[in-house]
Amino acid sequence: MIRRQISTALPIYIGVFIFQEAVVNQFHLPGGGFSLILIFSLIWAILSSPELAALGGFIAGLLMDLSQSSSGPIGQWTLLMIAACCAVSYLGSGSESLSGNPLGFTFLTTSAIFLVEIAYLTTGALLGVTVGGFTQTLITLIGITIWSLLVTPLVLPIFSRLHAFTFNTRSML
Amino acid sequence: MRRSAQGRGRLLIIILIVTALFLITLDLRGVGVLEGARQASQTILSPFQRAGTVVLSPIKNLISDITRLGRTRSQIEKLRADNAKLKAELLNRKDADAQLDQLKSVLDLAGTAGFKVINARVISQGSSQSFSQTITVDIGSNAGIKKNMTVLSKFGIAGVVKDVYSNSALISLATDPSFRIGVRIAGSQQIGILSGRGNRSANLQLIDNLTTVQVGDILLSRGSISNRPFVPGVPVGYITAVDNSAGAIAQSATVYLYTDFSALSVVAVVLGAPANNPGDVLVPLKPQPTPIPTVTIYVTPSPTPTN
Repeated sequence: MIRRQISTALPIYIGVFIFQEAVVNQFHLPGGGFSLILIFSLIWAILSSPELAALGGFIAGLLMDLSQSSSGPIGQWTLLMIAACCAVSYLGSGSESLSGNPLGFTFLTTSAIFLVEIAYLTTGALLGVTVGGFTQTLITLIGITIWSLLVTPLVLPIFSRLHAFTFNTRSML
Repeated sequence: MRRSAQGRGRLLIIILIVTALFLITLDLRGVGVLEGARQASQTILSPFQRAGTVVLSPIKNLISDITRLGRTRSQIEKLRADNAKLKAELLNRKDADAQLDQLKSVLDLAGTAGFKVINARVISQGSSQSFSQTITVDIGSNAGIKKNMTVLSKFGIAGVVKDVYSNSALISLATDPSFRIGVRIAGSQQIGILSGRGNRSANLQLIDNLTTVQVGDILLSRGSISNRPFVPGVPVGYITAVDNSAGAIAQSATVYLYTDFSALSVVAVVLGAPANNPGDVLVPLKPQPTPIPTVTIYVTPSPTPTN
């Protein structure tokens, strides 16, 4: 069951990743822009079971690690995304208030992005990854969070319907 | 059954986390396979990125134009100002290059003869309303300039210091009608007096009527006592015409002065000369004629007449 689900979801992850690299990254948005693959995988995780979320996080993290823009070692994003997707999946499945609540979804996704970025910085510091000056890092962190807050409500219906279409479930939104 | 499913789920998460940690360890240990994977992913992604660049460039340009509308306008103004400034600098540069060329040549000339010189920039051309031919240079008595010092151009004699002020000096050019200089003909050593005529051709009066001069003979300055007003051996000009009129007391000739007085921008004032006369070492080399290529056309007559 889980194998069928993930094999169905895999092309979508790859498609979103390619869209991120080929389209979103073309625009040099102020404040660092947003990561569509991060937003997608977290929304997907909220809508999925923890196991499936963990697998999705693994795929998304691995793809992010394989990106040329990734400065950390391969596996860093994988580890963080597994943890983040599991966490939001637990929170999403356990919270009734999220069902049919776009604002709650947006808040949870944006908070998760903020926390996962901080976790990336922390683990990066432990692993010896150079991330630049404090001010620039802070600007990028805030920029990514704000962009995510703006973009998530726009893509949420699309990703939610895509999830429902893929797994033949009713859309939560 | 439910507990078994939960156990499998936890096991899966643990396996995934261990895999991620394994990947981090491998990457930090520098295993080449992982770097190869990143390169392979970039190889796969690059066609998509190139296509994205092509497709999105009009949109990016539009967004960029909109966001930078004000900046673009100010940038155009700035570039225009820069362009004007660069044009002015280019003109100044050309002027400086010409001055540098003159300066190098005049230093070569002075250096060959061992003259001690000081360079000066021409800051004004004298007014011709009084029919005098003068220039003003930007150095004066503060730089050690005194009256009756020889002034050189890159070709030879330019004139003599007529008046000196603290920071400027008036130079009487060799073309000035009042200008007189004792000269000798290079090689034959015949002497004469050259006087300005208001233009680049000057008049030569030979002292000895029995001597003969020829067109093309080169004249050098003869020198004065204590090298003032003229140092010896400096090229002055060459003879372009000889007046052989019978009954003349002294032979005369027309001399074309070497110095181009219309293009004087840098000169050198001779402060001192060596004790030894430089002789003919400063005689300019005769210009080598440029060979003109001969074109030979071979025509083979056709066997049949053409209309």
